[in-house]
Amino acid sequence: MNKPSNVVLLIDDEPKIRRFLRAGFELHGFSVLEAENAEDGLKAATFNAPDLIILDLALPDLHGTEVLERLRSWSNVPIIILSVVSDEDEKVRLLQAGADDYVVKPFGMAELLARSEAALRRYFKSATENPVVTAGPLSVDLVGRTVSLNKNQIRLTRKEYRLLHTLATHVGLVVTHDQLLKEIWSGNQRDNIQYLRILVRKLRQKIETDPNHPRLLVTESGVGYRLQARFEDSSVD
Amino acid sequence: VILLRPMAGHGDDHSMSFSTKARSLESHLPIIRKLAKARARPPESSNEDVLQLDQDLPQHRLLQAHVLPLLMSLMCVGLVTALLLLFDRALAFNLVPIAYLIPVIVAATRWGIWPATLASIAGTGAADFFFIPPLYSFQVSDPQEAVDLLLFLIVALVSSNLASRLRRETEALRQREREIQHLYEFSRLLAACFTVSDLISAIQKYLSRALGQQAAFFAATADGRFEPGESGTVPKAVQARIAAMTPATGVPSYTVVDPPTQNVWLLGTVCSETTVHGLVAVNIAGSSREAVAIKKRRVEAVLEEVSLTFARLDIEKAMEDARLHLQAQLLRDAFHGTLSHELCTPLAAIRGSASVLDSMPAIREDHRIHSLVGDISDEVVQLDGFIQNLLNATRVTAGGISPHLEWTDPRDIVNAALKARARRLMAHRIEVEFADDLPLINVDSGLIEESCGQLLENAAKYSPSGSTISIGTRAEQGHVILSISDQGVGIAPDEQQQLGRRSFRSERHRTTIPGSGLGVWIASTFVRANGGTIDISSRGQGQGTTASIALPGSEKDSDLSQ
Repeated sequence: MNKPSNVVLLIDDEPKIRRFLRAGFELHGFSVLEAENAEDGLKAATFNAPDLIILDLALPDLHGTEVLERLRSWSNVPIIILSVVSDEDEKVRLLQAGADDYVVKPFGMAELLARSEAALRRYFKSATENPVVTAGPLSVDLVGRTVSLNKNQIRLTRKEYRLLHTLATHVGLVVTHDQLLKEIWSGNQRDNIQYLRILVRKLRQKIETDPNHPRLLVTESGVGYRLQARFEDSSVD
Repeated sequence: VILLRPMAGHGDDHSMSFSTKARSLESHLPIIRKLAKARARPPESSNEDVLQLDQDLPQHRLLQAHVLPLLMSLMCVGLVTALLLLFDRALAFNLVPIAYLIPVIVAATRWGIWPATLASIAGTGAADFFFIPPLYSFQVSDPQEAVDLLLFLIVALVSSNLASRLRRETEALRQREREIQHLYEFSRLLAACFTVSDLISAIQKYLSRALGQQAAFFAATADGRFEPGESGTVPKAVQARIAAMTPATGVPSYTVVDPPTQNVWLLGTVCSETTVHGLVAVNIAGSSREAVAIKKRRVEAVLEEVSLTFARLDIEKAMEDARLHLQAQLLRDAFHGTLSHELCTPLAAIRGSASVLDSMPAIREDHRIHSLVGDISDEVVQLDGFIQNLLNATRVTAGGISPHLEWTDPRDIVNAALKARARRLMAHRIEVEFADDLPLINVDSGLIEESCGQLLENAAKYSPSGSTISIGTRAEQGHVILSISDQGVGIAPDEQQQLGRRSFRSERHRTTIPGSGLGVWIASTFVRANGGTIDISSRGQGQGTTASIALPGSEKDSDLSQ
């Protein structure tokens, strides 16, 4: 998956953070560009066309949200946000503004790499159109609209499939409640998160080994859901 | 020589003396004028009270108050007659007009005008009967004697009137002085009050000292009743009456008679502008209607003074709150803006660098270096936990928790809390049990996760490695209960009450187990902000601890998804 050609642009004003990010990404075969402020970052994004941007929110010259909006005005390059606040509303705002995912400092490199890979996969997927998404023992055929678990086909209701479909097209990435509600329901049911919670509960009954301890369809509290590309490592990083 | 004692006289003159007294009081102290004005607000209700007072007062007490002085004045006249009869008749005859003035003056100064009038008439009669010829007859032979007797009667009546007025005014003066003195003392007491409880104890102290009576305070409860404090002295009938009352502002005071002892109890509400803080019950014993009225007025004056103090306390508290709030706001902003950034950035660099090191092949091969790198990561995670705790504590202190409520599956909360504390729980066996029919809960999931995490961390901290921590989630009467039980050191009964106070740490573990004492405090504040309750119980020292979080659940169930 990680072609050596993947270029990642790091926009962060802390040299020590850039240093370990560079080491981590290079170790996994990325080539790395650095920018220490928003201006340089925007320039580098324009002229060097990176495959992935890692953007810190606290920049000296411009707030990260502003940078994100400017980048999104002309590019759909995958962007992952680094933030110190674990404020759910802020995360949702960033995701709505076009960020692909976020990690909260302090984070481990493995977490950031997993997010990066997922973002890149989604970005390139739309180009190659591979119709089957796999997540652990689960595979979802987006064209044939079939779902199988450990090679056995399982039956889902229409809403359950739509939920799984939306998550599968973003496999490895977080999808906000709003986005899911809009994809699955119409009319005034759209605002009712209770419907979504119950639907997730039902879908977990069908795809999880232990629905009480989900490992595929995980909750990002206050933000949304994520379909894990792989089973989560139980120990952190 | 005028003997003065506060005794009951007759109604009319007393009501007159009250009004003169009130007028002069008003000119003396501005505060009292204010009180009088405040009392003048509900005129109808106070009239009702007086009526009620008449009906309430027991009959025999009225008799005692009015008949006894009359009898006493008659006895004085009898005594003078007996003494005069001992003297030589001629001498006695000369003394008669002077001697019979003595009982008149005594009666006037001690018991007021009616006993004095009676003494004047009785004295005239006795002089005529015993000393004026013809003796032992009410007839008067000499017209000169008749004029003398008539003159005596007039002089006696006038002097009794003068003497009793003097008595009244002196007494009123004394009374006024005493009252001002008491109010002044009470004001000084009040000036030293800084909290509501100070104030309440000041009222109790003052009432029992100044009035010399039994007084009890009933605090108003949130659900609209009066909660008896140490009400051992208050009789059943009065308590029953109090229990039937509901706290409301602007209610005039009541009088209640306790049937067995015939004592009159005065009930007055203690309130500030908007809230009723409680009720004072004072035993003003059973005296005349006027004495009851005096005491009632006095208690009311005290209560008015108290409400002014309440207003002062409210203002002080509001100012203090505003100042603290501003400080807290500044502190929070500083902490959240700068400090959290300053603290988190180096941590992020350490954690990130360690994680990169950890994935390098050269390090993975060397077991010793690999474990050292693992230690760095562990310690950074722990340090980050402490910083998050401090940040949370700042949020709580600054009053800045505004929960973002959202319907959430309780399972997700428990799983997230377990995941966040996975490292801390590594040494323990974790058992999780979810009930099948768990409803959704409307909470800020981030806050509840943090609360759960704090409790899990405490469970791990205060129980031996290898022991079991069990987490149960069940629905109960519209609530979802998350409970966390350990097999650890438990809680001693004396520690139980201090639990949940900020920075409380048990003496037993202070030196052996690290911690800030913020955990339970943060957890319970977060849970309360979400409309839930937290309960931490233990069967005792060494018996393990169970912490439960109860949160309101949704009524609707799983039929929603279709």
